[in-house]
Amino acid sequence: MGNVLQLLFTGLGIGAVYALVALGFVLIFRATSVVNFAQGEFSMVAAYLMVVFAVDLGWPYWLSFLLAIGGMALLGAIFNLGVYYPLRNRSFLPVIISTIGASIFLSNTVLALYGPQPQVLPGWFDAPGVQLGPVYLDSQYLLIIAVTIVLVAFQYWFFEHTLLGKKLQATSQDKEMAALLGIPVATMIMITFVYSAVLGGIAGILVAPVLFVSIQMGSTIALKAFAATIIGGFGDVAGAIIGGLALGIIETFGAAYISVPFKDAFAFLVLILFLAFRPQGLFGERVAEKA
Amino acid sequence: MNFTRRSVTAGLGFSMAMPAILRRARGQSAPLRIGMVLPVTGPAADSGKYALTGAKIALDRVNKAGGILSRQVELATEDDQTTNPGAVLAFSKLAAQPDIVAFLGSIRSTQNHAMAPDILKTAKPVCFGGTDPTLTKLGNPWLFRFRPNDSYSGRVIASYGAETLGKKSWAVVHSTDAFGTGGSKALTEALGKAGANVAIDQGYPNQSQDFTPVVLAIKSSGAEIIGSYFTFDNDLAIFARQLRQLGVTIPWVGSASIVVAGAVKLAGPALYGTYGVADYAVDSSPEAKEFARLYGAVSNIPPDNYGSWTYDAIGVLCAAIAKAGDTDPDKIRAAILSTKGYKGAEGEYNFDQFGDGLHGYNIVRNEKGSIVFDKHIEFTD
Repeated sequence: MGNVLQLLFTGLGIGAVYALVALGFVLIFRATSVVNFAQGEFSMVAAYLMVVFAVDLGWPYWLSFLLAIGGMALLGAIFNLGVYYPLRNRSFLPVIISTIGASIFLSNTVLALYGPQPQVLPGWFDAPGVQLGPVYLDSQYLLIIAVTIVLVAFQYWFFEHTLLGKKLQATSQDKEMAALLGIPVATMIMITFVYSAVLGGIAGILVAPVLFVSIQMGSTIALKAFAATIIGGFGDVAGAIIGGLALGIIETFGAAYISVPFKDAFAFLVLILFLAFRPQGLFGERVAEKA
Repeated sequence: MNFTRRSVTAGLGFSMAMPAILRRARGQSAPLRIGMVLPVTGPAADSGKYALTGAKIALDRVNKAGGILSRQVELATEDDQTTNPGAVLAFSKLAAQPDIVAFLGSIRSTQNHAMAPDILKTAKPVCFGGTDPTLTKLGNPWLFRFRPNDSYSGRVIASYGAETLGKKSWAVVHSTDAFGTGGSKALTEALGKAGANVAIDQGYPNQSQDFTPVVLAIKSSGAEIIGSYFTFDNDLAIFARQLRQLGVTIPWVGSASIVVAGAVKLAGPALYGTYGVADYAVDSSPEAKEFARLYGAVSNIPPDNYGSWTYDAIGVLCAAIAKAGDTDPDKIRAAILSTKGYKGAEGEYNFDQFGDGLHGYNIVRNEKGSIVFDKHIEFTD
């Protein structure tokens, strides 16, 4: 029983990271109808910013966090203006290729500026964790789960109970109708990119003390987060959260009780099953063409 | 001036021969080039930097001493992107340059396996650092190993854990790539001969974000000791942390990756008290100390096997070219194979007929972050 609880805790922790990055995928997809393949690199850039501020410059952790998040908001805005906006009237393919290009550019820029050595980022807490009966609760995983819950609650409040949230929702549902209603669509999309970059950044900063800070950390997480997005139902916020958590738990239990070498395969096996039998995902709506 | 048929013919002949003469003259004074495949990007990019540093230190020594065959030596590098296709592409780009006389391959066995068919076609010597024992048994005469292979590391890990530490029940943890599976096979075989048993064998995919299932399986297995073959520093560091967090404190003897600078830095206290078999250990010989001094002059990171094998490879290769007196691949190959008693940073090189230069390992231990040399075990069989 102790092992099951331990695996459940770890699976939820890893899954929460996938969920946060998946949320970024979903928000941008809803606003622009394209997949942002640089979402994982947002996590990586934020983690490196934290290393620069908190480790290299020795600034307080909270200040470093705020600066890193501020940096991510700026990056999200620049990303929107440089990668999405010039191609906004083209089909989805050039935009996707543009985001892949941006992803490579971000990786190589950080590599050129900071070098290839993986870095250590200390956690938020001095205590590495607490032993609760048979289960060891890693303090960083506890924080990741807590922040995910808070962000999901914030997101619900923001989108359902604020005017700005409703404008964002209207933009994501129908841009032309939103524009007719006087909603500044370009600004709404800009806000979506900024928020997604911040979300990706938070995920990166939270997971960095566990997985270390490296150039490829973002792509490793993003691949699973992308799978989580499809499992949850592309474009659905609740689906991204559930999909992320489910994926974390499935791969952890699959590794423990079936095979560790096939750990990654479980995640993608589930993805293939969904694509084959329920392509709209857990919460997505079925789209059919009328004859 | 009279133009006779003879003078015109001689003039034409001379003018036709001139480019070839000039090319030959320029070729003799042009730098001698060695190709190097290394990771500049991807998860092992840090090790590529250390490998390049080691190679450059060796080249610097060679060039300051007057070069080889009265020519300076220079490196031509290509990024393998830490992937097999990347390594194949990088090698083919280098192999297409006819003035490259020999190559430095990868420290990763899986990439050397991927490049091996092209290496055979290129028919020029390739020095590599991958430790999968089968690499020098592929029937490819152009592969030369500059690290002890895992048949030795497996025997040293087994001997130290089973005999010196007296632990008979083992957990073997390894990556599922060519290096990890080759290493675990060698270790399992050596444990059988040492009278120990494998309580649990756990392979894992590279770039795993979580090792909780592996640690819990080790805990439940009742193993008294861990033997490991990790490919990447960050995987090893994550495993080490989770191992300690989940309360597993049994001894741990790992392959060389447990003592490389990157892993020691990332894992921190989680690796204190562990043992490793290391081809490079600073205190193992005067040559190793000299390499550490030279490395320390250009880098603030302690030297490890990523830099030491390339340092030795350049040293042996240049000595072999000098001995061959020519850049003919067959002559260089013969000269490398005849290398005996070359004292490098990693130990004494005595090449066997398969192309393996080293036949022993150092045992080191991590004492609060410092890698302390214990002893060297050399094999003669």
